[in-house]
Amino acid sequence: MKLLLVEDDKEAAAYLKRALSEAGHTLDYAATGREGLMLAAGETYDVIVLDRMLPQVDGLTILRTMRASDVKTPVLLLTALGGIDDRVEGLEAGGDDYLVKPFAFAELLARVNALARRPPTQDVQTALRVSDLSLDLLKRAVTRDGVRIELQPREFQLLEYLMRHAGRVVTRTMLLESVWDFHFDPKTNIVETHMSRLRAKVDRGQRHELIHTVRGAGYCLREPD
Amino acid sequence: MFRSTSLRLAVLYTTAFAISVVALGVITLLTTRAALSEQFNARIQSEAAALTQEFRTEGLDGVVQAVRERDRTPGALDYGLVGPDGHALAGRLAPSGAVIGWSTVQTAQRDGELEPIRVFTVALPDGYRLLVGDDEERIEALDGAVLRGFAWAFAGVVILGVVGGYALSRDVHRRLAAISSTAEAIIDGDLSRRVQVRGSTDDLDRLAETINRMLDRISALMESLRQVSSDIAHDLRTPLTRLRQRLESGLAKEGERGEAIEGALGDLDSILETFAALLRIAQIEGGARRAAFRATDLSQLARTVVDAFAPSAEDARRSLGLEGEGPLMIDGDPELLTQMLVNLVENALRHAGEGAVIRVGVGKAHGAPVLWVIDNGPGVPTAERERVFDRFYRLERSRSEPGHGLGLALVAAVAKLHGAQVRLHEANPGLEARISFPAT
Repeated sequence: MKLLLVEDDKEAAAYLKRALSEAGHTLDYAATGREGLMLAAGETYDVIVLDRMLPQVDGLTILRTMRASDVKTPVLLLTALGGIDDRVEGLEAGGDDYLVKPFAFAELLARVNALARRPPTQDVQTALRVSDLSLDLLKRAVTRDGVRIELQPREFQLLEYLMRHAGRVVTRTMLLESVWDFHFDPKTNIVETHMSRLRAKVDRGQRHELIHTVRGAGYCLREPD
Repeated sequence: MFRSTSLRLAVLYTTAFAISVVALGVITLLTTRAALSEQFNARIQSEAAALTQEFRTEGLDGVVQAVRERDRTPGALDYGLVGPDGHALAGRLAPSGAVIGWSTVQTAQRDGELEPIRVFTVALPDGYRLLVGDDEERIEALDGAVLRGFAWAFAGVVILGVVGGYALSRDVHRRLAAISSTAEAIIDGDLSRRVQVRGSTDDLDRLAETINRMLDRISALMESLRQVSSDIAHDLRTPLTRLRQRLESGLAKEGERGEAIEGALGDLDSILETFAALLRIAQIEGGARRAAFRATDLSQLARTVVDAFAPSAEDARRSLGLEGEGPLMIDGDPELLTQMLVNLVENALRHAGEGAVIRVGVGKAHGAPVLWVIDNGPGVPTAERERVFDRFYRLERSRSEPGHGLGLALVAAVAKLHGAQVRLHEANPGLEARISFPAT
C-alpha cells in the first residue's frame, strides 16, 4: 500500500517509516504541512497519516484544505492532544480515524489497514460472508455451514465488525470504539469476555477456526488457509 | 475626579434642568403679563361704564358725588371729570387733551411724584368727559414678583444640581475606584481579593457580585490547575521510579532483558493512563465540556454499561443486574456519563468481592433523576466516604490492588459538571453510590 506520512518529529517519523516499510507499505514522507499538502494533492495514496500539530500550517488546516480540494484519501490523524473534544474536532475536519500519541505500533498498523481497504463507495450490503460463515444484516441472522447461530445483540455487532474487516487485524480499542462507543479504556476485560463467548458460538466444534487472536495486537477473522 | 462619568452626567443634567427652568419662567412671565394687562384694562373699562351709567341716571351731580366718594377710598382707581370747557370738575386725573380711548398720562400722585397712569377716556353727553385710570406700576410689581420667584427656583436648581451631582459622582467614583483597586491588587498577584458589596442590590452592587463570582471561578480553575501539577509531580514519580529501576535491571542482566522491556511497557502504559485520567479530570473540572451536552437517556446508558460488563462480572463470579425503568432523559454529556457509570461499576466489581450482587439502577426521587450502583460488599467506612472522591485517595485495603486512585475523582468531576450530587450510602450490607441529578 502507498502511504503518506506527515510528521514533523524526525525521530518518530524515522521509526514509523522503517516499521511501516517492514510491514510492506511504501511510504512518502513530508516534514511540514505545506509539503504534505503538495504531495497529497499531486499523488494518489491509499492512506494519509497526518500529525495534527505541525509547524507553520497545522494538521487540521491541511486536512480541511485537502477535503475542500476534493482529495478523498482516508486520513488517520495522530495527536498529542488527549482532549475529549479534540477527537470530535478532528473527525469534523474530515478525518477518518484518530489516534492519540503515544500509541502502540500495532494499533497504528491495524488502523491504517482498516482505513485503506474501506470500500470507496458505501454500498449497502445486506449480507456478509467469510468461508462458511454468513451474516444476514436484514434478518439479523448468523449461520455457519447452514446451521443457525443465536447471538446476543452485542455479539452480533462484534461479529459484523470482524467480518467487515475480514483478513485484517482489529484491535481491542477499535472494537471498544465501534461496538460499544467507549472512547476510554475500561480496566475490565469486556472485549476479551465478549470475544471468547462469540468464539465459543462461532468456532467451537468446527473444523476450522475463523477468529484468531493476534498476540500483542488484537483479533482477526479470516478464511481458513 | 473631573473626568468621572458620573460628574459629567450630573453637570449635563443640571444644565438641562436650569435651561428648562429659564424657559418655563419666560413663558410664565409672558402669560401672566398678558393676563394681568387684560384684567387691568377690563377693570378700568367697567368702572368707566358704571360711571357713565351713573351720569345718565343721576346726572352730573351724581357722577361728581360718585367720583369724590371713590377718590376717598384707599386702593381705588384714579378718576377725573372734565367739563365742556376743559376744567376739571372732580377727581385727581387732569384732562389730557381731547383723546378719547386709551392713553398714558403723567399724573402727580398723593406723594407728589409724577407717575405714568394708564387712562381710559369716555365722552359723556353735553361735552363732559370722564377719565378712569390706574397706575401701571401694579403690573410691573407683579412681573417683578414672578421674576423673583423664578430666580429663586433657578438658584435652587443650580445649587441642588451642583451639590447633588458632586455627592453622587463622588459616591459612584469611590465605588468604581474600589473595583478598580481590587482589580489592580489581583493583577499584582493577590487573587484572594474581592470587590466590596454593599448589599443594596443596585446595578453597581450587582456588577460587584458578578465580578466576585467571576473571580471565584478563576480561583477555582487555578486551584484545579495547581492541584493537577502537584498531583502529576507527586504521584507520577513513584511509577516512573519503578520504570527506571526495571530498565536498569534489564540493562544489567542480559538474560532478563525481554522480560524487563515488557514490564517497562506495562509500567509506561499505566503511567500514561494516570496522566490521561488527570488531564481529563482537569478538563472536566474546567467546565469546558458543557458544549457537548445533549438530551441523554440515562436508562439507555445504564443498559449499555450493564450489557457490556455483565459477562465479565459473571466470569468473575459476580452478578451485575439492571433495575428501574426508562426512558429517563437528562441534559448531559453521554460520553462522560458512560465513563462515570463504568468507573462506579468497575469499582463495585473490584471491591465487592466474589459472589457479590451488584445492581445498577435509574429512577426518580422527588421528581429528580437518580442513578445508583448498589453492591453487597464490605462497603466504605463512614469516615472515608467523602475522601474517596479525592484524587489518588485509596482505601488501606485496596492499596495492594491495581488502579490509580482516580476513578472516583473522575466520577465526582463528571457529577459536578452535570450539577449532580454524588453520595456514598450504607446499603446494609454493602455500599450504594447514588448520583442525584438536578430536577429538570
